[in-house]
Amino acid sequence: MKNVKNVNFWQVNHKIKNIFERRGVKVLPSPKAWEKFNWVRKILKEKPKEGYFIWVKKTINLPLEACVSIASLKISQNLTNLLVIEKGIKAKVNAVCNATKNNLYATHKAKGKLILKEGVFLEYNHIHKWGEKDFVSPDYEFVLEKNSRLIYNYQNLFPPENLELKTAIHSEKNASSNLNFVINSLNSKIKIKDTVFLEGKNSQTVVRLKLVGRKNSQIEAMSQIFAEAPGKGHLDCQGLLVDKTAKISLIPQLVCQNKEAQITHEASIGKISEEELTYLRMRGLTEKEAIDLIVAGFLEK
Amino acid sequence: MGKILLKIEKLKVRVNEKDILNGVNLRIKGGEIQALLGPNASGKSTLVQVILGNPKYKIFEGKIFFGEKEITKFSPEKRVKLGMALAWQNPPQIKGVKFSELLEKISILKGSTSKYRFREVEPQLLEREVNVGFSGGEKKIAELLQILSLNPKLVIFDEIDSGLDIKRLAMVAKIIKKELVDKGVSVLLITHLGQILQFLKPNLTNIMVNGKIICKESDFRKVLRTIKKYGYEKCKKCKFLAG
Repeated sequence: MKNVKNVNFWQVNHKIKNIFERRGVKVLPSPKAWEKFNWVRKILKEKPKEGYFIWVKKTINLPLEACVSIASLKISQNLTNLLVIEKGIKAKVNAVCNATKNNLYATHKAKGKLILKEGVFLEYNHIHKWGEKDFVSPDYEFVLEKNSRLIYNYQNLFPPENLELKTAIHSEKNASSNLNFVINSLNSKIKIKDTVFLEGKNSQTVVRLKLVGRKNSQIEAMSQIFAEAPGKGHLDCQGLLVDKTAKISLIPQLVCQNKEAQITHEASIGKISEEELTYLRMRGLTEKEAIDLIVAGFLEK
Repeated sequence: MGKILLKIEKLKVRVNEKDILNGVNLRIKGGEIQALLGPNASGKSTLVQVILGNPKYKIFEGKIFFGEKEITKFSPEKRVKLGMALAWQNPPQIKGVKFSELLEKISILKGSTSKYRFREVEPQLLEREVNVGFSGGEKKIAELLQILSLNPKLVIFDEIDSGLDIKRLAMVAKIIKKELVDKGVSVLLITHLGQILQFLKPNLTNIMVNGKIICKESDFRKVLRTIKKYGYEKCKKCKFLAG
Protein backbone atom coordinates (compact mmCIF):
# COMPACT_ATOMS: atom_id res chain seq x y z
CA MET A 1 0.00 0.00 0.00
CA LYS A 2 1.34 3.41 -0.98
CA ASN A 3 1.72 6.20 1.57
CA VAL A 4 0.86 3.94 4.47
CA LYS A 5 1.60 6.69 6.94
CA ASN A 6 -1.46 8.56 5.72
CA VAL A 7 -3.76 5.56 6.04
CA ASN A 8 -5.90 6.16 9.09
CA PHE A 9 -6.38 2.49 9.86
CA TRP A 10 -4.34 -0.30 8.33
CA GLN A 11 -4.63 -3.94 9.31
CA VAL A 12 -2.89 -6.92 7.73
CA ASN A 13 -4.18 -10.38 8.72
CA HIS A 14 -4.90 -9.76 12.43
CA LYS A 15 -2.19 -7.20 13.04
CA ILE A 16 -2.71 -3.46 13.05
CA LYS A 17 0.09 -1.92 11.03
CA ASN A 18 -0.81 1.71 11.34
CA ILE A 19 -3.21 4.09 13.00
CA PHE A 20 -3.13 7.71 12.00
CA GLU A 21 -5.40 10.27 13.60
CA ARG A 22 -6.16 13.70 12.30
CA ARG A 23 -7.38 16.67 14.27
CA GLY A 24 -11.02 16.01 15.08
CA VAL A 25 -10.84 12.35 14.10
CA LYS A 26 -10.46 9.55 16.64
CA VAL A 27 -9.21 6.24 15.26
CA LEU A 28 -8.92 3.10 17.40
CA PRO A 29 -9.12 -0.66 17.03
CA SER A 30 -12.81 -1.40 17.69
CA PRO A 31 -12.15 -3.64 20.77
CA LYS A 32 -10.31 -0.74 22.41
CA ALA A 33 -13.07 1.72 21.57
CA TRP A 34 -15.57 -0.73 23.09
CA GLU A 35 -13.57 -0.79 26.32
CA LYS A 36 -13.05 2.95 26.41
CA PHE A 37 -16.47 4.41 25.54
CA ASN A 38 -19.78 3.64 27.21
CA TRP A 39 -21.76 4.80 24.20
CA VAL A 40 -19.87 2.42 21.95
CA ARG A 41 -20.90 -0.47 24.20
CA LYS A 42 -24.53 0.63 23.68
CA ILE A 43 -24.13 0.42 19.91
CA LEU A 44 -22.05 -2.75 19.78
CA LYS A 45 -23.55 -5.22 22.18
CA GLU A 46 -20.66 -7.65 22.08
CA LYS A 47 -17.00 -6.82 22.39
CA PRO A 48 -15.46 -6.88 18.91
CA LYS A 49 -12.58 -9.20 18.15
CA GLU A 50 -10.96 -6.88 15.66
CA GLY A 51 -11.78 -4.04 13.28
CA TYR A 52 -11.73 -0.29 13.18
CA PHE A 53 -13.45 2.50 15.06
CA ILE A 54 -13.45 5.91 13.40
CA TRP A 55 -15.16 8.84 15.09
CA VAL A 56 -15.29 12.02 13.04
CA LYS A 57 -15.90 15.09 15.17
CA LYS A 58 -14.74 17.83 12.82
CA THR A 59 -14.91 18.35 9.08
CA ILE A 60 -11.66 17.45 7.36
CA ASN A 61 -10.81 18.17 3.79
CA LEU A 62 -8.86 15.02 3.01
CA PRO A 63 -10.53 11.63 2.65
CA LEU A 64 -10.15 9.17 5.50
CA GLU A 65 -8.54 5.88 4.52
CA ALA A 66 -9.06 2.44 6.00
CA CYS A 67 -7.39 -0.66 4.67
CA VAL A 68 -7.81 -4.26 5.77
CA SER A 69 -5.71 -6.86 4.00
CA ILE A 70 -5.15 -10.57 4.05
CA ALA A 71 -1.61 -11.62 3.21
CA SER A 72 -1.23 -15.16 4.57
CA LEU A 73 -2.74 -18.54 3.85
CA LYS A 74 -6.07 -19.51 5.48
CA ILE A 75 -6.40 -16.41 7.61
CA SER A 76 -9.89 -15.89 8.98
CA GLN A 77 -10.76 -12.31 9.84
CA ASN A 78 -13.80 -11.43 11.89
CA LEU A 79 -14.11 -7.67 11.93
CA THR A 80 -16.50 -5.30 13.58
CA ASN A 81 -16.19 -1.77 12.28
CA LEU A 82 -17.84 1.35 13.60
CA LEU A 83 -17.86 4.72 11.90
CA VAL A 84 -19.60 7.61 13.61
CA ILE A 85 -19.84 11.06 12.08
CA GLU A 86 -21.01 13.93 14.22
CA LYS A 87 -23.69 16.48 13.28
CA GLY A 88 -23.33 18.59 10.15
CA ILE A 89 -19.95 17.16 9.09
CA LYS A 90 -18.95 16.51 5.52
CA ALA A 91 -16.64 13.54 5.07
CA LYS A 92 -15.24 11.11 2.54
CA VAL A 93 -14.03 7.65 3.42
CA ASN A 94 -12.11 5.25 1.19
CA ALA A 95 -12.16 1.73 2.59
CA VAL A 96 -10.16 -0.98 0.87
CA CYS A 97 -10.39 -4.66 1.77
CA ASN A 98 -8.22 -7.05 -0.18
CA ALA A 99 -6.12 -10.17 -0.44
CA THR A 100 -2.56 -9.49 -1.46
CA LYS A 101 -2.23 -12.82 -3.27
CA ASN A 102 -4.57 -14.93 -5.35
CA ASN A 103 -4.74 -18.32 -3.63
CA LEU A 104 -4.87 -17.65 0.10
CA TYR A 105 -8.12 -19.53 0.88
CA ALA A 106 -8.89 -16.74 3.33
CA THR A 107 -12.07 -15.68 5.10
CA HIS A 108 -13.02 -12.07 5.59
CA LYS A 109 -16.13 -11.45 7.66
CA ALA A 110 -16.98 -7.87 8.45
CA LYS A 111 -19.87 -6.43 10.37
CA GLY A 112 -20.07 -2.69 10.09
CA LYS A 113 -22.21 0.02 11.56
CA LEU A 114 -22.02 3.51 10.14
CA ILE A 115 -23.87 6.29 11.86
CA LEU A 116 -24.45 9.57 10.06
CA LYS A 117 -25.80 12.08 12.53
CA GLU A 118 -28.06 14.98 11.62
CA GLY A 119 -27.03 16.89 8.49
CA VAL A 120 -23.97 14.75 7.70
CA PHE A 121 -22.78 14.27 4.14
CA LEU A 122 -20.72 11.13 3.62
CA GLU A 123 -19.19 9.65 0.49
CA TYR A 124 -18.10 6.12 1.29
CA ASN A 125 -16.09 4.29 -1.34
CA HIS A 126 -15.83 0.62 -0.49
CA ILE A 127 -13.35 -1.21 -2.71
CA HIS A 128 -12.87 -4.98 -2.59
CA LYS A 129 -10.14 -6.98 -4.34
CA TRP A 130 -10.00 -10.67 -3.58
CA GLY A 131 -8.27 -13.84 -4.60
CA GLU A 132 -10.02 -16.64 -6.45
CA LYS A 133 -10.37 -18.90 -3.40
CA ASP A 134 -11.48 -16.45 -0.71
CA PHE A 135 -14.73 -16.31 1.23
CA VAL A 136 -16.00 -12.82 1.94
CA SER A 137 -19.09 -11.70 3.83
CA PRO A 138 -19.53 -8.02 4.62
CA ASP A 139 -22.67 -7.00 6.49
CA TYR A 140 -23.05 -3.23 6.77
CA GLU A 141 -25.74 -1.18 8.37
CA PHE A 142 -26.03 2.56 7.82
CA VAL A 143 -28.08 4.80 10.06
CA LEU A 144 -28.96 8.06 8.36
CA GLU A 145 -30.27 10.57 10.85
CA LYS A 146 -32.45 13.42 9.64
CA ASN A 147 -31.16 15.61 6.79
CA SER A 148 -28.11 13.42 6.28
CA ARG A 149 -26.90 12.26 2.91
CA LEU A 150 -24.96 9.18 1.91
CA ILE A 151 -23.22 8.24 -1.30
CA TYR A 152 -22.11 4.63 -1.06
CA ASN A 153 -20.05 3.10 -3.85
CA TYR A 154 -19.24 -0.58 -3.53
CA GLN A 155 -16.90 -1.94 -6.16
CA ASN A 156 -15.69 -5.50 -6.48
CA LEU A 157 -13.90 -6.13 -9.76
CA PHE A 158 -11.72 -8.95 -8.41
CA PRO A 159 -14.29 -11.32 -6.94
CA PRO A 160 -13.70 -14.06 -4.37
CA GLU A 161 -15.01 -17.59 -4.75
CA ASN A 162 -17.83 -16.75 -2.37
CA LEU A 163 -19.29 -13.36 -1.61
CA GLU A 164 -22.24 -12.70 0.64
CA LEU A 165 -22.87 -9.00 0.74
CA LYS A 166 -25.54 -7.51 2.97
CA THR A 167 -26.32 -3.83 3.22
CA ALA A 168 -29.10 -2.14 5.17
CA ILE A 169 -29.90 1.56 5.21
CA HIS A 170 -32.19 3.22 7.73
CA SER A 171 -33.27 6.67 6.63
CA GLU A 172 -34.84 9.22 8.91
CA LYS A 173 -36.68 12.40 7.90
CA ASN A 174 -35.20 14.11 4.80
CA ALA A 175 -32.28 11.69 4.72
CA SER A 176 -31.17 10.52 1.31
CA SER A 177 -28.92 7.82 -0.03
CA ASN A 178 -27.39 6.95 -3.35
CA LEU A 179 -26.06 3.40 -3.50
CA ASN A 180 -24.00 2.01 -6.35
CA PHE A 181 -22.91 -1.61 -6.44
CA VAL A 182 -20.52 -2.70 -9.18
CA ILE A 183 -19.72 -6.39 -8.99
CA ASN A 184 -17.81 -8.68 -11.31
CA SER A 185 -17.86 -12.45 -11.00
CA LEU A 186 -15.54 -15.18 -12.23
CA ASN A 187 -15.79 -18.72 -10.89
CA SER A 188 -17.77 -17.13 -8.08
CA LYS A 189 -20.90 -17.60 -6.10
CA ILE A 190 -22.30 -14.25 -5.11
CA LYS A 191 -25.29 -13.38 -2.95
CA ILE A 192 -26.29 -9.78 -2.53
CA LYS A 193 -29.01 -8.37 -0.36
CA ASP A 194 -29.46 -4.66 -0.03
CA THR A 195 -32.36 -3.13 1.81
CA VAL A 196 -33.29 0.50 2.21
CA PHE A 197 -35.85 1.46 4.82
CA LEU A 198 -37.50 4.81 4.16
CA GLU A 199 -38.54 5.48 7.72
CA GLY A 200 -38.80 9.27 7.82
CA LYS A 201 -40.89 11.74 5.86
CA ASN A 202 -39.25 12.81 2.57
CA SER A 203 -36.49 10.25 2.88
CA GLN A 204 -35.12 9.23 -0.49
CA THR A 205 -32.96 6.61 -2.11
CA VAL A 206 -31.62 5.57 -5.50
CA VAL A 207 -30.03 2.12 -5.68
CA ARG A 208 -28.07 0.96 -8.71
CA LEU A 209 -26.68 -2.52 -9.20
CA LYS A 210 -24.40 -3.46 -12.05
CA LEU A 211 -23.50 -7.11 -12.13
CA VAL A 212 -21.30 -8.97 -14.56
CA GLY A 213 -21.59 -12.74 -14.82
CA ARG A 214 -18.46 -14.35 -16.20
CA LYS A 215 -17.40 -17.98 -16.48
CA ASN A 216 -18.80 -20.46 -13.92
CA SER A 217 -20.50 -17.79 -11.86
CA GLN A 218 -23.78 -17.50 -10.07
CA ILE A 219 -25.11 -14.20 -8.86
CA GLU A 220 -28.26 -13.79 -6.81
CA ALA A 221 -29.19 -10.25 -6.01
CA MET A 222 -32.12 -9.14 -3.93
CA SER A 223 -32.61 -5.42 -3.82
CA GLN A 224 -35.36 -4.06 -1.61
CA ILE A 225 -36.96 -0.78 -0.64
CA PHE A 226 -39.38 -0.61 2.25
CA ALA A 227 -41.35 2.63 2.27
CA GLU A 228 -42.74 3.08 5.75
CA ALA A 229 -43.06 6.87 5.42
CA PRO A 230 -43.91 9.20 2.51
CA GLY A 231 -40.55 8.91 0.81
CA LYS A 232 -39.24 8.25 -2.66
CA GLY A 233 -37.08 5.44 -3.94
CA HIS A 234 -35.87 3.87 -7.12
CA LEU A 235 -34.06 0.60 -7.83
CA ASP A 236 -32.10 0.01 -11.00
CA CYS A 237 -30.67 -3.49 -11.35
CA GLN A 238 -28.70 -4.39 -14.45
CA GLY A 239 -26.94 -7.62 -15.24
CA LEU A 240 -24.64 -8.53 -18.08
CA LEU A 241 -24.04 -12.19 -18.89
CA VAL A 242 -20.67 -12.63 -20.50
CA ASP A 243 -20.36 -16.40 -20.48
CA LYS A 244 -22.82 -19.20 -21.17
CA THR A 245 -21.87 -20.88 -17.88
CA ALA A 246 -22.90 -17.82 -15.85
CA LYS A 247 -26.24 -17.23 -14.19
CA ILE A 248 -27.70 -14.02 -12.77
CA SER A 249 -30.90 -13.78 -10.75
CA LEU A 250 -32.20 -10.31 -10.00
CA ILE A 251 -35.00 -9.84 -7.52
CA PRO A 252 -36.06 -6.25 -7.05
CA GLN A 253 -38.63 -5.90 -4.29
CA LEU A 254 -40.72 -2.89 -3.38
CA VAL A 255 -42.74 -2.87 -0.20
CA CYS A 256 -44.94 0.16 0.29
CA GLN A 257 -46.62 0.77 3.60
CA ASN A 258 -47.47 4.41 3.07
CA LYS A 259 -49.91 5.60 0.45
CA GLU A 260 -47.92 8.76 -0.24
CA ALA A 261 -44.65 7.01 -0.90
CA GLN A 262 -43.37 6.60 -4.44
CA ILE A 263 -41.12 3.68 -5.14
CA THR A 264 -40.17 2.29 -8.51
CA HIS A 265 -37.79 -0.23 -10.01
CA GLU A 266 -36.31 -1.42 -13.28
CA ALA A 267 -34.31 -4.55 -13.88
CA SER A 268 -32.68 -6.05 -16.93
CA ILE A 269 -30.22 -8.77 -17.82
CA GLY A 270 -28.54 -8.68 -21.17
CA LYS A 271 -25.76 -10.36 -23.03
CA ILE A 272 -22.87 -8.94 -25.01
CA SER A 273 -23.99 -7.88 -28.46
CA GLU A 274 -22.39 -9.92 -31.25
CA GLU A 275 -22.40 -6.82 -33.42
CA GLU A 276 -20.40 -4.78 -30.89
CA LEU A 277 -17.98 -7.66 -30.46
CA THR A 278 -17.42 -8.03 -34.21
CA TYR A 279 -17.03 -4.27 -34.61
CA LEU A 280 -14.25 -4.15 -32.01
CA ARG A 281 -12.57 -7.23 -33.47
CA MET A 282 -12.55 -5.42 -36.81
CA ARG A 283 -10.60 -2.72 -34.99
CA GLY A 284 -7.92 -5.26 -34.17
CA LEU A 285 -8.97 -6.26 -30.64
CA THR A 286 -9.03 -9.95 -29.79
CA GLU A 287 -12.34 -11.43 -28.67
CA LYS A 288 -11.21 -11.27 -25.03
CA GLU A 289 -9.99 -7.69 -25.31
CA ALA A 290 -13.28 -6.71 -26.96
CA ILE A 291 -15.33 -8.39 -24.18
CA ASP A 292 -13.23 -6.67 -21.51
CA LEU A 293 -13.77 -3.29 -23.12
CA ILE A 294 -17.53 -3.79 -23.46
CA VAL A 295 -17.75 -4.96 -19.82
CA ALA A 296 -15.69 -1.97 -18.64
CA GLY A 297 -18.07 0.29 -20.56
CA PHE A 298 -21.11 -1.42 -19.00
CA LEU A 299 -19.72 -0.90 -15.52
CA GLU A 300 -18.73 2.68 -16.30
CA LYS A 301 -21.92 4.01 -17.84
CA MET B 1 -0.45 0.03 -59.85
CA GLY B 2 1.01 -2.66 -57.61
CA LYS B 3 0.47 -6.40 -57.32
CA ILE B 4 -2.92 -7.92 -56.56
CA LEU B 5 -3.69 -7.25 -52.91
CA LEU B 6 -7.19 -8.66 -52.51
CA LYS B 7 -8.46 -11.58 -54.53
CA ILE B 8 -11.92 -13.06 -54.12
CA GLU B 9 -12.79 -16.22 -56.04
CA LYS B 10 -16.29 -17.58 -56.61
CA LEU B 11 -17.50 -16.54 -53.17
CA LYS B 12 -20.82 -17.95 -52.06
CA VAL B 13 -22.56 -17.13 -48.79
CA ARG B 14 -25.91 -18.31 -47.52
CA VAL B 15 -27.81 -16.86 -44.57
CA ASN B 16 -30.91 -18.61 -43.18
CA GLU B 17 -31.24 -20.83 -46.26
CA LYS B 18 -31.08 -17.80 -48.56
CA ASP B 19 -28.22 -17.26 -50.98
CA ILE B 20 -26.84 -13.78 -50.39
CA LEU B 21 -23.63 -13.99 -52.40
CA ASN B 22 -23.75 -16.08 -55.55
CA GLY B 23 -20.17 -16.48 -56.69
CA VAL B 24 -18.44 -13.14 -56.32
CA ASN B 25 -15.12 -12.54 -58.09
CA LEU B 26 -13.11 -9.44 -57.28
CA ARG B 27 -9.46 -8.35 -57.56
CA ILE B 28 -7.98 -5.18 -56.14
CA LYS B 29 -4.38 -4.16 -56.77
CA GLY B 30 -2.07 -2.24 -54.44
CA GLY B 31 -2.79 1.50 -54.63
CA GLU B 32 -5.96 1.00 -56.66
CA ILE B 33 -9.35 2.65 -56.03
CA GLN B 34 -12.36 0.58 -56.95
CA ALA B 35 -16.04 1.20 -56.47
CA LEU B 36 -18.84 -1.27 -55.90
CA LEU B 37 -22.32 -0.08 -56.74
CA GLY B 38 -25.59 -1.85 -56.50
CA PRO B 39 -29.23 -1.53 -55.53
CA ASN B 40 -30.44 -2.06 -51.95
CA ALA B 41 -30.17 -5.65 -50.75
CA SER B 42 -27.87 -6.65 -53.60
CA GLY B 43 -25.34 -8.09 -51.12
CA LYS B 44 -22.79 -5.25 -50.96
CA SER B 45 -22.70 -4.91 -47.19
CA THR B 46 -22.69 -8.69 -46.72
CA LEU B 47 -19.73 -8.93 -49.07
CA VAL B 48 -17.65 -6.41 -47.12
CA GLN B 49 -18.54 -8.01 -43.79
CA VAL B 50 -17.47 -11.38 -45.22
CA ILE B 51 -14.21 -9.90 -46.54
CA LEU B 52 -13.40 -8.71 -43.00
CA GLY B 53 -14.38 -12.06 -41.46
CA ASN B 54 -17.64 -11.35 -39.65
CA PRO B 55 -18.34 -14.73 -37.95
CA LYS B 56 -22.08 -14.28 -38.53
CA TYR B 57 -21.63 -15.22 -42.19
CA LYS B 58 -20.59 -18.69 -43.28
CA ILE B 59 -18.79 -19.13 -46.56
CA PHE B 60 -19.82 -22.38 -48.21
CA GLU B 61 -17.86 -21.94 -51.39
CA GLY B 62 -15.02 -19.77 -52.68
CA LYS B 63 -11.80 -18.30 -51.34
CA ILE B 64 -10.41 -14.96 -50.22
CA PHE B 65 -6.72 -14.07 -50.56
CA PHE B 66 -4.92 -11.05 -49.13
CA GLY B 67 -1.45 -10.57 -50.56
CA GLU B 68 0.01 -14.04 -50.79
CA LYS B 69 -2.15 -15.51 -48.01
CA GLU B 70 -5.45 -17.30 -48.16
CA ILE B 71 -7.50 -15.70 -45.39
CA THR B 72 -10.90 -17.34 -45.92
CA LYS B 73 -10.91 -18.75 -42.38
CA PHE B 74 -9.00 -15.98 -40.59
CA SER B 75 -10.55 -14.15 -37.62
CA PRO B 76 -11.43 -10.46 -38.09
CA GLU B 77 -8.56 -9.32 -35.87
CA LYS B 78 -6.07 -11.40 -37.85
CA ARG B 79 -7.25 -9.78 -41.09
CA VAL B 80 -6.92 -6.34 -39.52
CA LYS B 81 -3.41 -7.23 -38.43
CA LEU B 82 -2.56 -8.06 -42.05
CA GLY B 83 -3.71 -4.59 -43.13
CA MET B 84 -7.43 -4.79 -43.94
CA ALA B 85 -9.90 -2.25 -42.59
CA LEU B 86 -13.60 -1.58 -42.90
CA ALA B 87 -15.48 1.64 -42.21
CA TRP B 88 -18.96 0.52 -41.18
CA GLN B 89 -22.13 1.94 -42.65
CA ASN B 90 -24.02 1.75 -39.33
CA PRO B 91 -21.47 1.30 -36.57
CA PRO B 92 -22.88 0.05 -33.24
CA GLN B 93 -22.84 2.04 -30.01
CA ILE B 94 -20.34 0.98 -27.37
CA LYS B 95 -21.84 2.44 -24.24
CA GLY B 96 -19.57 3.61 -21.44
CA VAL B 97 -16.44 3.59 -23.63
CA LYS B 98 -15.02 6.96 -24.59
CA PHE B 99 -14.15 7.41 -28.25
CA SER B 100 -10.66 8.63 -27.32
CA GLU B 101 -10.20 5.45 -25.23
CA LEU B 102 -10.99 3.26 -28.25
CA LEU B 103 -8.68 5.26 -30.50
CA GLU B 104 -5.83 4.94 -28.02
CA LYS B 105 -6.43 1.20 -27.76
CA ILE B 106 -6.31 0.80 -31.53
CA SER B 107 -3.19 2.95 -31.79
CA ILE B 108 -1.41 0.93 -29.12
CA LEU B 109 -2.34 -2.36 -30.78
CA LYS B 110 -1.18 -1.19 -34.17
CA GLY B 111 1.82 0.73 -32.85
CA SER B 112 0.57 3.77 -34.75
CA THR B 113 0.53 7.32 -33.51
CA SER B 114 -2.86 8.84 -32.86
CA LYS B 115 -3.79 10.70 -36.00
CA TYR B 116 -6.97 12.25 -34.80
CA ARG B 117 -5.73 15.70 -34.14
CA PHE B 118 -6.72 17.18 -37.44
CA ARG B 119 -8.78 20.31 -37.59
CA GLU B 120 -12.01 18.71 -38.73
CA VAL B 121 -12.49 16.81 -35.48
CA GLU B 122 -14.40 18.52 -32.76
CA PRO B 123 -12.65 17.77 -29.46
CA GLN B 124 -15.98 16.98 -27.77
CA LEU B 125 -16.36 13.96 -30.06
CA LEU B 126 -13.35 12.32 -28.44
CA GLU B 127 -14.87 12.67 -25.00
CA ARG B 128 -18.19 11.09 -25.96
CA GLU B 129 -19.11 7.40 -25.81
CA VAL B 130 -18.38 5.50 -29.02
CA ASN B 131 -21.16 6.21 -31.55
CA VAL B 132 -23.66 7.11 -28.81
CA GLY B 133 -25.80 9.95 -30.07
CA PHE B 134 -23.40 10.63 -32.96
CA SER B 135 -25.00 12.35 -35.94
CA GLY B 136 -24.65 10.75 -39.39
CA GLY B 137 -21.66 12.95 -40.17
CA GLU B 138 -19.99 12.34 -36.81
CA LYS B 139 -20.26 8.60 -37.30
CA LYS B 140 -18.46 8.84 -40.65
CA ILE B 141 -15.69 11.00 -39.19
CA ALA B 142 -15.35 8.61 -36.25
CA GLU B 143 -15.02 5.64 -38.60
CA LEU B 144 -12.42 7.46 -40.65
CA LEU B 145 -10.35 8.29 -37.58
CA GLN B 146 -10.31 4.68 -36.47
CA ILE B 147 -9.32 3.53 -39.94
CA LEU B 148 -6.39 5.93 -39.99
CA SER B 149 -5.21 4.62 -36.62
CA LEU B 150 -5.14 1.10 -38.09
CA ASN B 151 -2.40 1.88 -40.65
CA PRO B 152 -4.16 -0.23 -43.30
CA LYS B 153 -3.09 -1.45 -46.74
CA LEU B 154 -6.67 -1.81 -47.95
CA VAL B 155 -9.68 0.14 -46.74
CA ILE B 156 -13.28 -0.68 -47.55
CA PHE B 157 -15.74 2.16 -47.04
CA ASP B 158 -19.30 0.94 -46.70
CA GLU B 159 -21.60 3.78 -47.80
CA ILE B 160 -19.29 6.50 -46.48
CA ASP B 161 -21.26 9.01 -48.55
CA SER B 162 -24.70 8.24 -47.11
CA GLY B 163 -26.08 10.87 -44.79
CA LEU B 164 -23.36 13.41 -45.54
CA ASP B 165 -24.06 16.86 -46.92
CA ILE B 166 -21.94 17.97 -49.86
CA LYS B 167 -19.54 20.01 -47.70
CA ARG B 168 -18.87 17.14 -45.32
CA LEU B 169 -18.60 14.71 -48.22
CA ALA B 170 -15.92 16.87 -49.83
CA MET B 171 -14.05 17.03 -46.55
CA VAL B 172 -14.22 13.24 -46.02
CA ALA B 173 -13.08 12.64 -49.62
CA LYS B 174 -10.19 15.06 -49.11
CA ILE B 175 -9.01 13.18 -46.01
CA ILE B 176 -9.31 9.81 -47.79
CA LYS B 177 -7.26 11.15 -50.69
CA LYS B 178 -4.57 12.77 -48.58
CA GLU B 179 -4.21 10.16 -45.85
CA LEU B 180 -4.84 6.97 -47.84
CA VAL B 181 -4.87 7.21 -51.63
CA ASP B 182 -1.81 9.47 -51.89
CA LYS B 183 0.05 7.08 -49.60
CA GLY B 184 -0.63 4.08 -51.86
CA VAL B 185 -3.40 2.49 -49.78
CA SER B 186 -5.97 0.55 -51.82
CA VAL B 187 -9.56 1.66 -51.45
CA LEU B 188 -12.87 -0.06 -52.17
CA LEU B 189 -15.84 2.29 -52.09
CA ILE B 190 -19.22 0.70 -51.53
CA THR B 191 -21.89 3.14 -52.56
CA HIS B 192 -25.54 3.14 -53.38
CA LEU B 193 -25.84 6.52 -55.03
CA GLY B 194 -22.24 7.04 -56.07
CA GLN B 195 -21.76 10.67 -54.89
CA ILE B 196 -18.28 10.02 -53.51
CA LEU B 197 -17.00 8.78 -56.89
CA GLN B 198 -16.94 12.34 -58.28
CA PHE B 199 -14.35 13.20 -55.65
CA LEU B 200 -12.23 10.05 -55.64
CA LYS B 201 -12.47 8.89 -59.26
CA PRO B 202 -12.11 5.10 -59.05
CA ASN B 203 -9.94 3.13 -61.50
CA LEU B 204 -12.64 0.49 -61.81
CA THR B 205 -16.35 0.44 -60.98
CA ASN B 206 -18.14 -2.84 -60.23
CA ILE B 207 -21.89 -3.36 -60.28
CA MET B 208 -23.44 -5.90 -57.98
CA VAL B 209 -26.93 -7.26 -58.46
CA ASN B 210 -28.50 -10.24 -56.65
CA GLY B 211 -25.28 -11.22 -54.91
CA LYS B 212 -23.10 -11.22 -58.02
CA ILE B 213 -20.80 -8.70 -59.67
CA ILE B 214 -22.30 -8.39 -63.12
CA CYS B 215 -20.35 -5.48 -64.59
CA LYS B 216 -16.86 -3.98 -64.37
CA GLU B 217 -16.29 -0.61 -66.04
CA SER B 218 -13.26 1.70 -65.99
CA ASP B 219 -15.31 4.85 -66.73
CA PHE B 220 -17.28 5.52 -63.55
CA ARG B 221 -19.06 8.49 -65.17
CA LYS B 222 -20.57 6.19 -67.76
CA VAL B 223 -21.84 3.89 -65.01
CA LEU B 224 -23.33 6.76 -63.03
CA ARG B 225 -25.00 8.17 -66.17
CA THR B 226 -26.57 4.80 -67.00
CA ILE B 227 -27.79 4.19 -63.49
CA LYS B 228 -29.19 7.70 -63.21
CA LYS B 229 -31.09 7.28 -66.46
CA TYR B 230 -32.25 3.66 -66.30
CA GLY B 231 -31.58 2.46 -62.74
CA TYR B 232 -30.02 -0.95 -62.10
CA GLU B 233 -32.67 -2.67 -64.24
CA LYS B 234 -30.66 -1.84 -67.34
CA CYS B 235 -27.59 -3.56 -65.86
CA LYS B 236 -29.53 -6.75 -65.30
CA LYS B 237 -30.41 -6.87 -69.00
CA CYS B 238 -26.96 -5.90 -70.27
CA LYS B 239 -25.55 -8.43 -72.73
CA PHE B 240 -21.94 -7.81 -71.64
CA LEU B 241 -22.41 -9.17 -68.12
CA ALA B 242 -19.19 -9.82 -66.25
CA GLY B 243 -18.51 -13.30 -64.87
